[in-house]
Amino acid sequence: MTSFVRLFCLSLLIASFALINGCQRAEQGGGSTSSSPTGKRIGVTLLTREHEFYRDLEAGLKDAADRQGYQLTVTSGDFDLAKQQSQIENFVVQKMDAIIVCPADSKGIGPAIEQANNAGIPVFTADIAAQGGRVVSHVASDNLAGGRLAADFIARAIGGQGSVGIIGQQEVQTGLDRENGFKEELAAKHPNIKVVAVLNGGGVRDRSLKAAEDMLQGNSGLKAIFGINDDSALGALSAAEARGRADLVIVGYDATPEAVEAIRRGSQLKADVAQQPRDLGAKTIEVIRTHFAGGQSPASISVPVKIVDAESLKASGGQ
Amino acid sequence: MSQVTTEKGVGLRGRISEWRRVTEYVIVFAILIESVAFAIISPEFFSVPNLINIALSIAITGILAVGMTMVILTGGIDLSVGSVVALAGVVAAMIAAGGGSTASVLLGSAAALAVGVAVGIFNGFVVAQFRVPPFVATLAMLTICRGLVFTITGGRSISNLPPAFAIVGRERVLGLPVPVIIMFVVFAAGWVLLTRTVFGRYVYALGGNPRAAFHAGVNTKLITFLPYVLNGLLVGLAGLVLASRLGAGVPNAGLQYELDVIAATVVGGTSLTGGRGSVIGTLWGAIFIGVLNNGLNLAGVDPYMQRIALGVVLLLAVLADQAGKTQGGQAAR
Repeated sequence: MTSFVRLFCLSLLIASFALINGCQRAEQGGGSTSSSPTGKRIGVTLLTREHEFYRDLEAGLKDAADRQGYQLTVTSGDFDLAKQQSQIENFVVQKMDAIIVCPADSKGIGPAIEQANNAGIPVFTADIAAQGGRVVSHVASDNLAGGRLAADFIARAIGGQGSVGIIGQQEVQTGLDRENGFKEELAAKHPNIKVVAVLNGGGVRDRSLKAAEDMLQGNSGLKAIFGINDDSALGALSAAEARGRADLVIVGYDATPEAVEAIRRGSQLKADVAQQPRDLGAKTIEVIRTHFAGGQSPASISVPVKIVDAESLKASGGQ
Repeated sequence: MSQVTTEKGVGLRGRISEWRRVTEYVIVFAILIESVAFAIISPEFFSVPNLINIALSIAITGILAVGMTMVILTGGIDLSVGSVVALAGVVAAMIAAGGGSTASVLLGSAAALAVGVAVGIFNGFVVAQFRVPPFVATLAMLTICRGLVFTITGGRSISNLPPAFAIVGRERVLGLPVPVIIMFVVFAAGWVLLTRTVFGRYVYALGGNPRAAFHAGVNTKLITFLPYVLNGLLVGLAGLVLASRLGAGVPNAGLQYELDVIAATVVGGTSLTGGRGSVIGTLWGAIFIGVLNNGLNLAGVDPYMQRIALGVVLLLAVLADQAGKTQGGQAAR
């Protein structure tokens, strides 16, 4: 009997988490509207507004749209597929001239995109790709290239040989791309560097800290760690600092202010791959402008990434 | 809290039956088996530094699990712990960074505990006074606190903390990391409170049979309320330790900790329906999960496979524990 009660409680627990999602679904985002009413109208649904990356992306979109005289309606899906779907449905009802989506779920967003397709509204994706439906162009940072940049930096920093580890987030495509770019570059150009450990830090700092501790524990000769985002890298940094591993080289991704600060103060975090979200936003608007003018755009457009280290920070004299 | 009236009737016999209760846990054998398996796979496993590493990795979960055990023993549950860990950590970091001195670190630490206690008082009050199901009350708290964390930080971590902030998370005393020492102290205190005080007996009585407890003169409202407050104190403490270890107040810290903590408690033999279980069992549960995570990481098991393995082993552990209890004919309370 008690096992049934226990099972029941566990299923209640699971149901409760479904409930959270349900609650979040219930509330719908309003959205802010900017600038000239005469131009084309573009509906945007971002993944979130809580990340700096998306705030910069939004700024890039807005600046470029203002310059073209487009009217931008920006909403946020807040990582919730259902919310995002209804935002797209609203854009369809409002007969937007184009829709930009940063999908909360690459596969799940398909049907909503099809709805826009059926209404004859062109859809563009930014940062995260969609599967299903017709997307005119996908504009994103080149995550594979970012992984390769990180690999090259680490190779230089540790003298082209030794063992390295990755703190990844394998359930997210961008995380996988960065990890794979990193591995491919090492295999192709730096054969004397071995990836001895790949752990999942979930892209959050506390889990990455634990993963890094196990990694350093199990591989005493580890020379470097690549974190697929800054929380992964900063978690590894905490582990390295707590263990007094002053020689470790850590490379992160995204160049958040905290990571930049860590690089600047000379910590084990030596470099970061920086996306350029403003450029990404501007590029997306540019692609849409080409489309409005009747031009053809490639299905996939990569926005370059760059490496940020102590030297480049010094050279740029600040940010 | 203040009810530290010691129970005099527990003699040798009581202690023996308790020891039997501990050894009855199949979990202890499961820990031995998994340890041997991991030791064979990776020689690193049984080294002293790695054992300390495992202890460190379960410190936060362990501190939280003591409070959770108390709450679950009354038949309640607290789903808000992960969010409150983040909130307490962020508040501590904000105050410490704001003042920039050792005094501000102390103030921030006190504030972290206060945040935990405040949330605990709220949870306990809503559950005890208004009889709101603890699932719902603490679920609401989970989203409220997470929202609060993101609101007060704007989604950004709080770093650049005074050096003293690192003490509870990163220092070592006699080779043992401070978080591990804190965890053991918390376990010891929880054990004394639950097995050696009137309060502890009331907690078991209430969880085992609320109606009977009420008629026996137990102040059921108070005994429902207090575990949430004590749990809140421990959640605040865990938040402080985590922020100190991370060297920052991180708004997305503590995600899904409630699941880890409930898992440790349940695997340790505490019944989700209340009234049955122990703090010692919870310690074993936390160790079991910690060893599993560490061993899989050391063995370099693919991250996808790790998730499957963790789920399967958790399920097996609970099933085995359950089977052991039924065979024992409900001997253990």
